[in-house]
Amino acid sequence: MSGFIRTTLRSRLTVLYASLLAATLLLYAGGVSAFFLHNLHEQLDSSLTRDVETVEAVLSIDATGALKLTSHEGEAEHRERDRGYLLEVWSQNGNLLYRSEQLHDQALGPVPATIVSGRQSAHSLRLPSGLQVRTISRVHHMGKDKAVVVRLAVNEGPLWSEFWQMVLVLAIGLPVAVILVALCGYLLAGRALEPVNAMAHRASQITAELLNERLHIKDPDDELGKLGIAFNTTLARLEQSFAQLRRFTADASHELRTPLTAIKSVGEVSLGMQGDVSYYRDTIGSMLEEANRLTHLVDSLLTMARADANRTQLHRTGVNLYELSKEACGLLEVLAEDKQQTIQVEGDLHAAVLADQTILRQALVNLIHNAVKFSPVGGSIRIAVGESGQDAVIEVRDTGPGIPPADRAHIFERFYRVDKARARAAGGAGLGLSIAQWAVAMHGGSIEVECPHGKGSVFRIRLPRNA
Amino acid sequence: MQILLVEDETKVGNALCAGLRADGYEIVWAQTGEEGFFHANSRSFDLILLDVMLPGRDGIEVLDTLRKLGDKTPVLLLTARDTIEDRVLGLDTGADDYLVKPFAFAELSARIRALLRRNQSEPPSTLTIGPLVIDPLRRMVIREGEHIDLTAREFEILEYLARHHGRIVSRDMLARDVWREGSRATPLDNVIDVHLTRLRKKVDDPFGKKLLHTVRGVGFTLGEDPS
Repeated sequence: MSGFIRTTLRSRLTVLYASLLAATLLLYAGGVSAFFLHNLHEQLDSSLTRDVETVEAVLSIDATGALKLTSHEGEAEHRERDRGYLLEVWSQNGNLLYRSEQLHDQALGPVPATIVSGRQSAHSLRLPSGLQVRTISRVHHMGKDKAVVVRLAVNEGPLWSEFWQMVLVLAIGLPVAVILVALCGYLLAGRALEPVNAMAHRASQITAELLNERLHIKDPDDELGKLGIAFNTTLARLEQSFAQLRRFTADASHELRTPLTAIKSVGEVSLGMQGDVSYYRDTIGSMLEEANRLTHLVDSLLTMARADANRTQLHRTGVNLYELSKEACGLLEVLAEDKQQTIQVEGDLHAAVLADQTILRQALVNLIHNAVKFSPVGGSIRIAVGESGQDAVIEVRDTGPGIPPADRAHIFERFYRVDKARARAAGGAGLGLSIAQWAVAMHGGSIEVECPHGKGSVFRIRLPRNA
Repeated sequence: MQILLVEDETKVGNALCAGLRADGYEIVWAQTGEEGFFHANSRSFDLILLDVMLPGRDGIEVLDTLRKLGDKTPVLLLTARDTIEDRVLGLDTGADDYLVKPFAFAELSARIRALLRRNQSEPPSTLTIGPLVIDPLRRMVIREGEHIDLTAREFEILEYLARHHGRIVSRDMLARDVWREGSRATPLDNVIDVHLTRLRKKVDDPFGKKLLHTVRGVGFTLGEDPS
């Protein structure tokens, strides 16, 4: 049971509430009792004071100097006895003048040392007989210079029994209140947490196959609603990456299957043919070409797999973007010349970032390679290096057919091709832009694409300068 | 020249044995690490071709033991693992070179020749292939008495082909040794093809006989006889 209490949030909340309430009530009860006791004493003291005054009125000293208690009715001593009062009277020099019989020689406190006129003091005191009494001492002047100390005491028993009755009421009422509140709290917490249980139940039913399921959210603005929304967003992202993974697997096997099919069919066909040496050389050469394509594909896939696993480490140095662009163009220049295209690099000669030169160069080479591939014969490719706000920017502008808006969101996906047939003939596997995007993202940058006026595409690499 | 080949895959082993024997080497083929170590320890070879992924005792262990025993035979590691850490581990253990699978046989053959002649440093002398004369010092190419004007890159390609004269040079070899491109993911094949086409226009087209041949699916070769 104790394990259960510790484990559920509902029980923990209830225990917490109940303990807080119990602590508060205990403090409150303590305060009330102290105040009540103080009040009882004050009441007793004021009634005692009045009684002392009554006693003082019946005090007299006869000719022999002995003290007498006389009233008009002549029975003051009786009254004193009936009402349970205990009386002591001391002379100025500390001699006992009178003591009630009921005291049986027990003193109501020590002999008064000095007598200060007009002072009265109240004390609680336990007599040797075990009786708890309240005493008041007061100086009484009896004409001339004669004064006595009157000490009146009364049983405190009734006061304490009244006090303990109240404490008893509190002691019974307090746990009852705490238990009631705990019960209510347990019920309330249960109701408040009920949606959490429902969410947990539903979430446990969502599996890799049922990722399109979502949690039902009653109120999107309360805490549980926010939790549900966060969970649903996570689910959406999961669903998206699962879909991407499935598509990637399907696309990758398709890409791998294409050269494999070529190798198989070329091999099988030539085995059945009667050819000369050059025919077989050609056949083997053709198979090797496909094997090379497979090798390249696997290398690119490995690069991407390492990128996914974050296993690539950047070796950052200061890289001049203008020179890097020049160098990348120099590498591919010959392809452009072959198509009578012009490649120009322009812009800021000194734009530089801290970057891994090899990886960044790969991104740039892939973009320029695409630009050359998709620009027509006689077209032009322009690379502009510059700065924009906090970013260094490299723009690669081609004069190709542009990218239809519907495809723009997908071109960075692996194996995605705008024009399936054409791109394959051009020899690409559809990984160049994915690799470029990864390479730039590794540096905290991004690649944007736009097609102004539907003529040509502009790929814009943004790299944070202070990275 | 005697080469010890340690390779567990039968198909690859057979192909390598056949290819290397055709190159004129004497081959001993071991199919496990233990067997390879036994051969290497019991007699001397000019070169060891060592696969890294072997059943039982792997290539790195074999190499490590050999080097600790003081064996200085050049070792060329063959492996499917190509991370930088793998390369560093292999070279630190004492390998002389490192080739990542899948590799072109032409490249393996070139690396073996390079390792075998490592100690005999040859000065950059004039290279003569039939009617073609290449002078690396003065960066000059002459064919049948005529000067051929080449760009720097074209000259480098021609010189590289001439140094591997009579043998096939793959695109990967050109990409790495002439372009010094580390990553195989960089799209260089088209670039290389265009350069070769231009080179052929300058070196072959004005003359009768073809010297620069394309071997389909493998690469290029420079020589009077295409095979």
